Amino acid sequence: MKKTSTLILLAIALLGLQSCNSNDDDQTASILDGTGITLDGDVDCCSAEEALQVYKFLKTVKIIPELSTEVDGKYNVFAYSKTGKFSVGYNEIYFVAVKKGTGNYVKNFDVTNLSPLMTMTAMNMKHSTPVGSSVDSFNDKYLAVKRGWVSFLMASTDKDFWVLSYDVKVLGHQKTVADASFSVEALPQGQTWLQSFKTGDATYFISLVDPQNYQIGSNSISAYVSKKSNPATQPYVVAEEVFTIEIVPTMPDMGGHSSPGNEALTKQADGTYQGLINLTMTGYWKIDLTVKDKEGNVIAENIHFDVTI
Amino acid sequence: MWTAVVLAIATIIQPADTATDRSLQLDEVVVVSGSIQGVKRSVKGQVASIEEHLLELNHTDVVRRGSYAWEPVVNNMQSERVSTTIDGMKIFYACTDKMDPVTSYVESGNLQSISLNSGLNGNPQSTGNIGGSLDLKLRKVGFDNDAFRLNVSAGHEWNGHLQVYGADVALSSHRFYTNFGAFYRHAGNYEAGGGQTVQFSKFGKVNAFTNLGYRLAENHILEGTFIYDRATDVGYPALNMDVYKAEGIISSLSYRWQFSHPFLNSWETKVYYNHITHVMDDTTRPDVEIHMDMPGKSWTTGLYSILRASNGHHNASVNYDIYYNRLFADMTMYPGGAAPMYMVTWPDVGTLNTGLALADQISLAHHQSVGLSAKLAIQSQQLNNYEGYQALKVFFSGMTDAYHQVIGRVAAHYAWSPENWKLTIGTGWGSRAPTVTEAYGYYLNNTFDQYDYIGNPRLKNESAIEVNGGIQWHPLPLLNLQWDANAFFFSNYIIGEFETRLSSMTVGAEGVKVYYNQDHAKIINTSLSADWQPLEWLKWTGQISYALGHDAQGDNLPLISPWAFQSRLDFLFNRFSAQISVKGNARQAHFGHKYGEKETSGYTILNLSAQYNISVQKTLLTLRAGVENLLDKTYSTYSDWNNIPQKGRNVYVNLSVSL
Repeated sequence: MKKTSTLILLAIALLGLQSCNSNDDDQTASILDGTGITLDGDVDCCSAEEALQVYKFLKTVKIIPELSTEVDGKYNVFAYSKTGKFSVGYNEIYFVAVKKGTGNYVKNFDVTNLSPLMTMTAMNMKHSTPVGSSVDSFNDKYLAVKRGWVSFLMASTDKDFWVLSYDVKVLGHQKTVADASFSVEALPQGQTWLQSFKTGDATYFISLVDPQNYQIGSNSISAYVSKKSNPATQPYVVAEEVFTIEIVPTMPDMGGHSSPGNEALTKQADGTYQGLINLTMTGYWKIDLTVKDKEGNVIAENIHFDVTI
Repeated sequence: MWTAVVLAIATIIQPADTATDRSLQLDEVVVVSGSIQGVKRSVKGQVASIEEHLLELNHTDVVRRGSYAWEPVVNNMQSERVSTTIDGMKIFYACTDKMDPVTSYVESGNLQSISLNSGLNGNPQSTGNIGGSLDLKLRKVGFDNDAFRLNVSAGHEWNGHLQVYGADVALSSHRFYTNFGAFYRHAGNYEAGGGQTVQFSKFGKVNAFTNLGYRLAENHILEGTFIYDRATDVGYPALNMDVYKAEGIISSLSYRWQFSHPFLNSWETKVYYNHITHVMDDTTRPDVEIHMDMPGKSWTTGLYSILRASNGHHNASVNYDIYYNRLFADMTMYPGGAAPMYMVTWPDVGTLNTGLALADQISLAHHQSVGLSAKLAIQSQQLNNYEGYQALKVFFSGMTDAYHQVIGRVAAHYAWSPENWKLTIGTGWGSRAPTVTEAYGYYLNNTFDQYDYIGNPRLKNESAIEVNGGIQWHPLPLLNLQWDANAFFFSNYIIGEFETRLSSMTVGAEGVKVYYNQDHAKIINTSLSADWQPLEWLKWTGQISYALGHDAQGDNLPLISPWAFQSRLDFLFNRFSAQISVKGNARQAHFGHKYGEKETSGYTILNLSAQYNISVQKTLLTLRAGVENLLDKTYSTYSDWNNIPQKGRNVYVNLSVSL
């Protein structure tokens, strides 16, 4: 059903383009049915094919209105996450810029300085949290959706609240979003996707990427290691230091049952840490972590992620 | 190439019914009531359980995990190496812990007899029968029998308050026959010797069956069977769990063309379908650390077509069969508070197997005969459950979701029967594909050695060479002495071996074992038996048997019988007969310590039994009574899983009436 409607959409879009090209006076623009997008051959905006790609992607995510904004009355910038919410640990955040009037997606734009900030009123303390180094497109050919990540250290409460600031530049129009409030939910029991360790004076945070995608069998495991900033109100960027993080998944409910063939998280060229995790069944898995430095010295142990699949 | 040669030279033996033709490799126990002499049957008569009937067969034993659903063992080999068919139909158990050998899905009332082909000389439908093949022959009343017959039986055993009730009706004419009936069995927990109650040993079972036959034309016969069997609340004292429900549906339709031809006898084609649902239950057990659901499902559909031919010298058959079986089992564990843990323990394995079997029993001059049999089968397996497949891939990264095997067997024997003697020798070669548990089982906890077992999809077929021989001697007309022996020399023997790199799943397990092919292994069985009837009313039979089994390192294999003996006196009068028997095992000195087996002490028990027949016109009434383990000994046999104790003194009485 879904496929059929997509095909119909594509057909309508292509028809629209064709009528555009034929210089038909009565129909200078066509409408991508149901989306509010007008395809008028604007070079700043997506082609029908690109628009459809964006449209399809946006169907898989949910908007976060409190982090969306308007730029100079000309563009809307919308923020999304997978669930329309954020939770403690690694979260991806997506941005799309839309031209007001036509509703079409802007082909390319920039989001920079993603800066989350937690204010803990009871303790009169402010701190940031691990954030991806930049907000980028998925790839060179697909520029209209920008993706960044934030790994939240803690959940919002009555007294502890999160705000996010970022800069956006759409076709020469700049806007700074300052201190937009939003909330972060706690993870359910049996899920801990963020851990910290200290070495010397530095504090590092390991953020586990998307463990909710794990299935029975072999899974690739990926993570980021971020370094706490000084001052702590600055976003914690991905650490330059190189570590090796050994992983041992165990099931405490099954007397510490473990799985064979797991591969340690090692740093890749793109800054991520990649490894392999084998899960023999569903249920609650405790992933014991041992962090080693470049020389192989253990610098942190007795820390673990919790994942329930 | 060799297959063509094998098929060209070989053929299968049809078990002939006359005693002289019967080789020492073929054995049969008769289940139905009646007064036929000279056949084997349980002293408890028709109401005995299938397993009690089975125990009458040579080289046959059972592995007992409770008081219900015992696993047949032939030549000291269990289900993996023994084929069990129901009237030629393939059927596969659905429990990953072997709580439901397929013999548990029928009732004595369904059966005419159970035949055993020892070793590689299997019945035409059997595959993978290295140890032997059992065929449970259904009780079909047949055409031209009594127009109406009603059979009713009831029995009670005091130990465990076992009750058995059965009734069936048979209608027969030249054109049509049917017999149908129902059986009910129920028992509470039994008591071991000394009066100690064995907890979780109760069971309940209902069974209903019907057979139909219709003569389409004089020599064209259509026959159908339907069996429904349901066991509930079955206790397994040797295991950590019981069974909530074990349900089997067995159905078949066959067409038989009988020829009036110099050598072609009949051509029978049968299609069948059976379905088993097995649900384990640990909710009634105290101290359950983690509650688990472990259901299993097995269904099989298949066809066989057999052409039988005979003349004065040959008794031959050609059989083609094909079956498709699906096995699925999973497990969900519920730790308090945390998320359920789920795994697929049998990854919905589809097995398609097709084979051609040939057999010939050839009578030669000077009281000699030769039997030849062979079968070639090809098999392909598909893992249909993605989750289970991915889970196994963690352990075998290069595995695929489809496997193919070629399985074959060929056997020959020669018999020479000069006056007062009979000598037989035989040999054979055969292979079997790994079972689903051995190839794809996933963390199956074995309470025998306390290891979790993981299957190995890379296993090679196991094969064995068998040699057997026997001598019968009648030095006096009423004295008969018999010695027989067989030896199986295995290659690529499949057995679980401790894998230190893996961590166990089950709480309290010793570790993980993975099935591997051992380079070689051997199992040797021998028995010496005698019967003597010095007086018309007195008969003595005695038997002593011994077996040994060694793995590639020369260490003992598990579950191999120690010295076993029995001696029985039969008192035979016209309507009354009585038996006194002594049975026992020596201490199991050569137990499989390496495989987690514990030593079993020897035992001797004394049994008494008696039967009384009354027949008035066509009404036959049989009253049976007896005492098992008269001296109330506390004992267990080597094949009692985890050495759970056997029943203590057990008094039984049963009555069968046939009108």
